[in-house]
Order: sequence, then C-alpha cells, then structure tokens
Amino acid sequence: MPEAPPLEVRGLTKRFGSTTAVDELSFAIEPGRITGFLGPNGAGKTTTLRMLLGLVHPSAGQALVRGVPYRKLDDPVRTVGAVLEASSFHPARSGRNHLRVVATAAGIPRERVDATLELVELSDTARRRVRTYSLGMRQRLSVAAALLGDPQLLVLDEPANGLDPEGIRWLRNFLRSFAGGGGTVFISSHVLGEIAQLADEVVIIHKARLVAHEPLAALTARTAGGTIVRSPDANRLREQLAAGGIEATSGEDGELRVAAPPERVGEAAAAAGIVLHELRAESASLEEAFLELTGGDE
Amino acid sequence: MRLVSAELLKLRTTRLLLWLGLLILGLEVLVIALHVSQNSVSELAQARSQRDVVSIAAVSALISLILGIVASAGEFANGTIGHTFLVAPVRERVAAAKLVAVAFAGAVLAFAACVFAWALAALLLKARSVPVHLGSGSSLRLVAGIVLAAAIAGALGVGYGSLLRRQTAAIVVALVWLLVGEPLLGIASADPYGPGRVIASVVEAGNQGSELLSFDRGLVLALIYLAVAGVLGTLAFRRADIT
Repeated sequence: MPEAPPLEVRGLTKRFGSTTAVDELSFAIEPGRITGFLGPNGAGKTTTLRMLLGLVHPSAGQALVRGVPYRKLDDPVRTVGAVLEASSFHPARSGRNHLRVVATAAGIPRERVDATLELVELSDTARRRVRTYSLGMRQRLSVAAALLGDPQLLVLDEPANGLDPEGIRWLRNFLRSFAGGGGTVFISSHVLGEIAQLADEVVIIHKARLVAHEPLAALTARTAGGTIVRSPDANRLREQLAAGGIEATSGEDGELRVAAPPERVGEAAAAAGIVLHELRAESASLEEAFLELTGGDE
Repeated sequence: MRLVSAELLKLRTTRLLLWLGLLILGLEVLVIALHVSQNSVSELAQARSQRDVVSIAAVSALISLILGIVASAGEFANGTIGHTFLVAPVRERVAAAKLVAVAFAGAVLAFAACVFAWALAALLLKARSVPVHLGSGSSLRLVAGIVLAAAIAGALGVGYGSLLRRQTAAIVVALVWLLVGEPLLGIASADPYGPGRVIASVVEAGNQGSELLSFDRGLVLALIYLAVAGVLGTLAFRRADIT
C-alpha cells in the first residue's frame, strides 16, 4: 500500500456565513520537497493551513496529514511542526517557558527546549518575557516551537514576516537544510522572491480555488510560453518564422524572442538549414507567473 | 496527566497567580484588621465572631472563578489557544485538563488564603489579648468548605470562560451577575439556587443560616452547575474555529 502524502486536501471547502473562504480545493504535496503555497491576500491560504492543522473545521472535504485528519494523529508535535502567527504568545510568559509548556504537554524532555532555543539562536533572550521580543524574535520562537518534536514535516504560515534580512537568510538556509535532510516543507508566503529561491514546487490559489500546482520550473516556463533562440543567421531565421506566421523580436548577439514553443522554432530552423547556437524555453519569473494566474491581484 | 501538568505550568509561568494571590492577601489584611480593631474584646472572644473574621478567606472562591475564566477565555484573548490545540488536537482533553488544573490551583490558592487569614487573625486577636478559638470544629469545617468551593468555582470558571471566550466580558458578566443578578432572584425567593449562593452554601460547610441551602444540597447543585458549564464549555471548545 503506497504511503500517504505528507499533506493532502480533497474537495476542501470552508464557508464563513455567506463567504466561501476555500472552495473545493484538492492537492497533495510530495515528501522531501519544499512546496510554496501562494495566493493574493484573502485567497484562503491561512484558512487552508488551519484546516490542515485541525484549527478550523472544514465545511466539506478533507484535510489530511499523513493520511489522517490532524486530530487523529497519534503524536502531532513529533509528526508536524507548525508556525502560526508570531503574535500568538502570552506576552507575560518568557520564550523558554512557552516552549516548556509545549514540551510538557507533548511529553518532550526539557533538554530539547534548550537545544531548540540554541538552534534558533534565542538562547540569550529565552528568559525574557515575549512582550519584549521583536517580531523577528517571535518568529524564531514560533520556529523553535515547531521544531520541538523534531518532526519531518513543517507547515509554515508567512514565516518570513517581520524577519530582518539576516533572519530571512537564516530561515532560508534552515529550510534548505531541513529539506536536504529529507524533511518536507509546506510554506505560505506573500514574498514571492523567497518562494522562488526556496520552493521545488508551488500551489497557487486565487479567490478560494486552486489555479496551479506544479514544479516551479514548469510553471515559469509554461506561463511564459515562448522561446529564446540564438543564431548567427538571426535575420534569415526571423524571416523564416514570419513566413510560418510566427512572430519574433530581435535582441542582441543574434538572439530572437519567439512567440512559439521551442519545438516549432527548432523545426523551422532545421527546415531552412539555419544553424542555432541556443534554443530554450523562455521562463517567466515567479512573480510574472503569479500575476498572470491571479489576474494581477496581490 | 501531561496536559494537566502543562496547564499548571501555564498558570505558574505568568504573574496572574501572583497578582490574584496578592489581591486575596490585601483583602484579608483589610477586612481582618478592620474587624478586629472595630469590635469589642468580648465580642471578638466568641468563637462565632472569630469564624466570621476569617471567613474573608472565602473570597478566594471568587478569585478562583476569575482564574478559571482567564485560564480558558484568556487563551483566546492572547491567541495561545492555537498552540494549545496544535499540541493536543483532541479538544475535549484540553478542556478536561483545564478543569482539573484550575480546580487544583484554586484549591491551593484557597488553602493558602485560609492559612494566611487564620494566622493573621490569631496574631491580631492575641495582640488585643483575646483568647483564640480558631481551631474549633466549626472554623476547620470552614477551611474545608472554602477549599472545596474554590476548586468548584475555578472549574466552573473554566467552563463558563470556554463558553464565552471573551475574557473581560466574561469576568464583568460574572461579577454583575453575582452582585446584581443573583440578588434579584430573591424577588422570586429563588436566590439560594443561584450559582453564587450555591457556592456560598459549600463554603459554609454545615454552618449555614436559613438563607442558604444545606451543605449537601448546595454541593450537589454546585456539581450540577459545574457539569453543565463543563459540558457546554467543552462543546464550545470543540466547535470553535481558531482563525
């Protein structure tokens, strides 16, 4: 029997009164990969994550972690680490005590608390009350709480919020190292540049519905849909393409940008006996792909 | 058991218990000092009067109720309920752990309040050369009643706070009910059955006057109130969307 995917949603729907926050969403993420979860504000990302984590009840459909609803996990803290909003701490409790509470409830040894604080570089400020923490420190504390049980699956909701550039770099390196060790990461973010640097694949939702779920490279190539071709005989190639009804614009060093897939460009060049030095699918940036799929909503 | 320990740790790792404890001590100092200084030596020498002096420790039942409200509704106010449910997604267990933890904390708080009240009263009575009768059976039953009432009130506060989920509103409504709402039940001669009076009948533990239910009936009714609040609070926990 095949192993259940780390995270899976099937026909997941959530309605708040007359508002549909998530509408029949279905996807499953692959193990050992970083999957970005993107969508404009209000698209339903946070609601989806909270349904996966058992915090919000679906109106219909299923949200599964390792094949079962979060509520039915035997040992949730050791199965999945979750980073929620950074403000979700008691302001008068110290960072270390917050972790001690989680560790006590989950039956995790106290030594792990200090080790995790060390890992997120909060040891020096661990005994200070959370109300004195910066937003970035709270985010690190959230990450520490997620890592307490040493899970192989991380679900992160906007973890880069409030982090300074050094913190963002730390988080990026940490997540890469986590995924490199076989861990699975599902990360929502509105910072597209971060996702572009991190993710292997992306899930994009818009107006509560799924609009894309594919590897990042495939998405950016598909969205652009064109071809970059370079030839020492670029002018003749452009005429050849024009004769076939294909538009091409000239660039530098014999480069053409062609509004057709690489296969058609290659066939046209071969038919005319034109030498090519480069032929590749044109990639859009993640931002361009995102904006195209979401109609420009951010 | 782990969840109960975690709930107790939550209570110990903020200053809430400290402030509530100080509030009880402050009230005890004020009331006991006034009572001992204002009454005559002959009156203070009566066991009944001395019992009245230390009965201020029963305020710990009210404080325990507030502790219960903060322990449950406060989690929603501070947004920490999400973390709690991530660790323990079976919410009924969280509700049960909170009930047990706050009942225990309330009982400890009440016991400490009694110890302080008895010690302070004994000290002040001796200072006025009044023979101390605070070890009488009646006074000791009062200790047991206060501790039991505080445990019940704390758990009741958890259930009630879980139901309302708005910390400040829940505390204000509870106080308004106890100070205004419940006395109004007297119009229909139903005031002994209000939750506040029922808890008071547990406090009195066999020493009640005619205006309170007997200890047994009060205890049974208090446990019924607790069961109803616990079930409704647990259902509210279960149904809540943590957005």
